[in-house]
Amino acid sequence: MAPELSLDQLREEIDKIDEVIVRLLDSRARCAYTVGRLKHQLGRAIYEPAREAAVIAHVRQVNEALGGPLDGDAVARLYERIMDEARRIQRLEAERDAKKNQENNEEQITKNEI
Amino acid sequence: MVVVMKERASDTEVEAVIAQLVELGMDVHRSTGASRIVLGVVGGGKVDPRLIELMAGVHEVVRITQPYKLASRTFQAEDTIITIGDLRIGGDEVIVIAGPCSAESEAQVHATAAAVKRAGAKVLRGGAFKPRSSPYSFQGMGEPGLQLLREGSNAHDLKLVTEVMDANQIEVIGKYADIYQVGARNMQNFTLLRELGQHTRKPVMLKRGIRTFETFTRNTLDLSAIPIVKELSHLPVFVDPSHGMGRRDKVAPMARAAVAAGADGLIIEVHNDPDRALSDGAQSMFPAQFDRLMAELRIIAPAIGRSICLEPVARRGWAR
Repeated sequence: MAPELSLDQLREEIDKIDEVIVRLLDSRARCAYTVGRLKHQLGRAIYEPAREAAVIAHVRQVNEALGGPLDGDAVARLYERIMDEARRIQRLEAERDAKKNQENNEEQITKNEI
Repeated sequence: MVVVMKERASDTEVEAVIAQLVELGMDVHRSTGASRIVLGVVGGGKVDPRLIELMAGVHEVVRITQPYKLASRTFQAEDTIITIGDLRIGGDEVIVIAGPCSAESEAQVHATAAAVKRAGAKVLRGGAFKPRSSPYSFQGMGEPGLQLLREGSNAHDLKLVTEVMDANQIEVIGKYADIYQVGARNMQNFTLLRELGQHTRKPVMLKRGIRTFETFTRNTLDLSAIPIVKELSHLPVFVDPSHGMGRRDKVAPMARAAVAAGADGLIIEVHNDPDRALSDGAQSMFPAQFDRLMAELRIIAPAIGRSICLEPVARRGWAR
């Protein structure tokens, strides 16, 4: 970012950055989705506090080196929200799974009854 | 020559222009765009553009001066998207083709196909007929190799591209491959190119390779060709950093640069065990290197408004 840019130019730059951020959030969400499936297969919990603490520590460290206006706590707050959404994706998928299993079981029971 | 119809040209007007051109001995390729219809005209007939321009519904007649007509941007302004099953080449997503230089054994093809699929490749590459500079080098497995490649790509839900070296291979390759590749060595083999055009409707990937006075790399990877070809043509552009560099440690930086420069796809040599490869081992990536490259590309592509081999999301529950 160059300081001599006009308000309109800066806003245009912010729009461009947002396009990249959303695409990267999409990639991150897809990874989290697959992580959820692996956790499910391995029988691990959706919420793993130690992993979340490690993610926050990692992004704090990356941010530290940049020396910009976002302090470590601010980055941590943003990442808390991002991880909330990742957990939500995993929970929704686990619920779909549970529902499907239930349906299958019911079908099985009906078949057995017949 | 390209005939651009007026935005509100009626079907009758369009049909009259096509009929006139056909009568004059021309082939007409009709493209219906978002707002107007464009007719691409090629052939041996003699047409006076001014007379066509006078016909009802015609907006403009543009002569294509390049020797390539159908492939030129003048002929078609929008990017061409090639569809093979559920695969779309030339769209927003950068497509990665990966695999061994040549098919060597069932185990090698399957191990490599599994590795490239896992990393996000959409198409398997691999040769069965190898154009080697020396007659003493491994010449490829022939049709059994094609069979292995087809089985490997089917098993891992990949499309297949393989090189055709001679017109007498067109038929047999057509039985197995989804895309033909013509190597740089054969790009002046006009008999082969003509036969391909006549005998297949499958996509053909044409290679261009250059050499310079630089001797450190095997060939020279000309990244400047990407924006140039994309301006001249509406066809998708792929980059082969493996053959350009000839050394596996230099493939990843050039692959990253190619995506940043706007390539629609990459074709990369990956081998499950490069040190034992029968050909091009030195430029074949290890699967772990390829995994890392794909992860890097997934971060670079969004910066230029594209995506690359995203993890598929099927919202059907984990169990599927």
